[in-house]
Amino acid sequence: MTQQLTQQQLDELAKDLDAIRDEVRADLGERDARYIRRIIRLHRTLEVGGRVLMPFGFIPPVFVAGVASLGLAKIIENMEIGHNVMHGQYDWMNDPSLHSQTYEWDTVCTGDSWRQTHNYEHHTYTNVIGKDRDYGYAVLRLSDDEKWHPLHLLQFINYVMLTVFFQWGVGLHELESERIRRREIKLSDKKGFLKDFFRKGGRQAFKDYVFFPLLTFPVFPIVLAGNVCANLIRNLWSSTVIFCGHFTEDAETFTEASIEGESRGHWYLRQLTGSSNFTGSKWVHILSGHLSHQIEHHVFPDIPAHRYREIAPRVEAICHKYGLKYNTGSFGKQYWTVLKRIGHYSLPDRVRMKLEAQAT
Amino acid sequence: MLSTRNTHASLRWLGKQLFNREDPGAFFDPLLAVLNPMWVRGFVPARLLEVTDETADTRSFRLRPSPRWKGFRAGQHINIILEADGVRHHRTFTVASAPRQWDTDGTITLTVKRHPGGRMTNWMHDHLTPGTIVGISQAFGDFELPEADVPLLYIAGGSGITPVLSHLMTLADRDFRAPVTLLYYVRTQADVIGAEILYALASRWPALTLHVYRTEEEGKTAFLNESHLDTVPGLRARQVYLCGPKGLMDLAGDLLHSFGIKDDQIQTTFFSAPSAVPADTPLGGAVTFGRSDKTVDAEGDAPLLEIAEAADLKPAFGCRMGICHQCSCRKTEGTVVNRLTGKASGPGEETIQLCISVPQGPVTVDL
Repeated sequence: MTQQLTQQQLDELAKDLDAIRDEVRADLGERDARYIRRIIRLHRTLEVGGRVLMPFGFIPPVFVAGVASLGLAKIIENMEIGHNVMHGQYDWMNDPSLHSQTYEWDTVCTGDSWRQTHNYEHHTYTNVIGKDRDYGYAVLRLSDDEKWHPLHLLQFINYVMLTVFFQWGVGLHELESERIRRREIKLSDKKGFLKDFFRKGGRQAFKDYVFFPLLTFPVFPIVLAGNVCANLIRNLWSSTVIFCGHFTEDAETFTEASIEGESRGHWYLRQLTGSSNFTGSKWVHILSGHLSHQIEHHVFPDIPAHRYREIAPRVEAICHKYGLKYNTGSFGKQYWTVLKRIGHYSLPDRVRMKLEAQAT
Repeated sequence: MLSTRNTHASLRWLGKQLFNREDPGAFFDPLLAVLNPMWVRGFVPARLLEVTDETADTRSFRLRPSPRWKGFRAGQHINIILEADGVRHHRTFTVASAPRQWDTDGTITLTVKRHPGGRMTNWMHDHLTPGTIVGISQAFGDFELPEADVPLLYIAGGSGITPVLSHLMTLADRDFRAPVTLLYYVRTQADVIGAEILYALASRWPALTLHVYRTEEEGKTAFLNESHLDTVPGLRARQVYLCGPKGLMDLAGDLLHSFGIKDDQIQTTFFSAPSAVPADTPLGGAVTFGRSDKTVDAEGDAPLLEIAEAADLKPAFGCRMGICHQCSCRKTEGTVVNRLTGKASGPGEETIQLCISVPQGPVTVDL
């Protein structure tokens, strides 16, 4: 564990990281604007391409192309455009269509709900058990901070359901169903949220499962199936990327007590050690919305994401300077550790300890 | 008419469902911009046709707006949307050409003077070349021509001549018969903007009396004073239009009052960035940004927009000079002074423009 940094070291850590942030901020300009506009152009092209190809999906290769095109469009829009725009990475451009507070993305979760649960809660209380509800999404036990329960034996089923229906899970995240179950809050407290949820969810379902299929009536089963597949691809990919960001083997968790009155340096420390990266080609980075650089993203959530690739070596060097683990590895390796973690923590503590002891 | 509006409304509703945005038309802009930048829907595109030098530091930009632009009346302004180094800027300029030019060849002219230290006017001079596409807003402003032929007096300074040029050309076309006098204050003869148009109008349109005062060349007597107004026949019956730097406008206002001209006879229009409020008002105070749960102490005449930005907030902004309302926001408590008018607001909740609102004591803003 890494909590041994002294306050002085934490202050220095903050200063080192602030210096990178200030440098990149001062350098933002034309290049970043051109980058995001090019990505948006690609998204529009893929979306139009996917919608046009889909009705011709009775020809199998065209079906595959249509699904791939629409699936990629949704992935790019959610990951590299929507998520990053809503973080305020492009607010400095003063372009109303890229404004963090008004952007609405192509998924069930409303922009407002996301800005609350993700931008605010998750990014502030990263991996603080009990405060960061993204940690396990309240359906997975991923650390021994949570007491084991026999039902956890089945949590792999939860995981599969969550990843398949990810957009609906994220959309309902703010409902805090676990707190409703524990009777800490009432369903009626969430009336406003539910109204927005049904409006946005209805809008998304209408578009993909009613409007476009009906528009192409004679071939509607093909279009419907294609749209379901495109959404599924996006769900699987985005959930996997996100799981690799915080649930890998060595990603640390924190207690509420440890963050009381914390300094900026300690917040930085939490972001560095609670997140994990994975390596890959340029397109892996783009399709993950640069969450392949989850560490850089958590340290600098409002810096245009394509910059993460450039500053990563410097962030890694800072980690080494303070003796912190810079948690990275291949996509396959990181994902395997996520699956292992889900599996391990589904077991009673005694069994898990025994297994872990054997492994080392 | 009604049926097309209904179709539009339902198409718009459908567009919102499909594209998750309030302006569904702009969804395809990134693709349209590649095919033909004049097709974009997010703003009204306009193609820059021609750049001409008016004086050493003033240039005219002739633009052809897309057919979606609805035209303008003489004396109105537009916001021009420019992208410099990835950042979108909005600036307000008066259309210097007459509506007739728009009617005949579909173009409008903006006349822009370099402001020393100004960011965008200099950028426009240095970077805008024919063929560039810029965005513009629909025209706005109420520096309106009189409906009937009543005697008029214009007092303009420097680049404040631009709305006056548009007015005069339009009046001349209308064959306006009542007397029109223009008192135009410039530093030197070489600083006269629209000289060709002005002198041509003065020679062919008998109603116009033109006085150009060159303050640097002619010395003290060329600064606006009572004797200038004495030369205007029937002054008290004139409808007066003012446009120029604040010092000139304040002086003109005082002099006109002393000649018995009432406020409702005088129209003033936007000229350039507002200057500070009178020094005798105690300004500054604790500014609370309610939604961000932040409080900062502000000093001096810094507007709320700058205070918010200094506090690391990123409120939407536009022209930064009180024209476009992009930065409009709810003030929930406290008094602010409007930099443009120098007037203090009421203490209650109201919408204010952050860029021109200066706190006077503690203020809470919904940001």
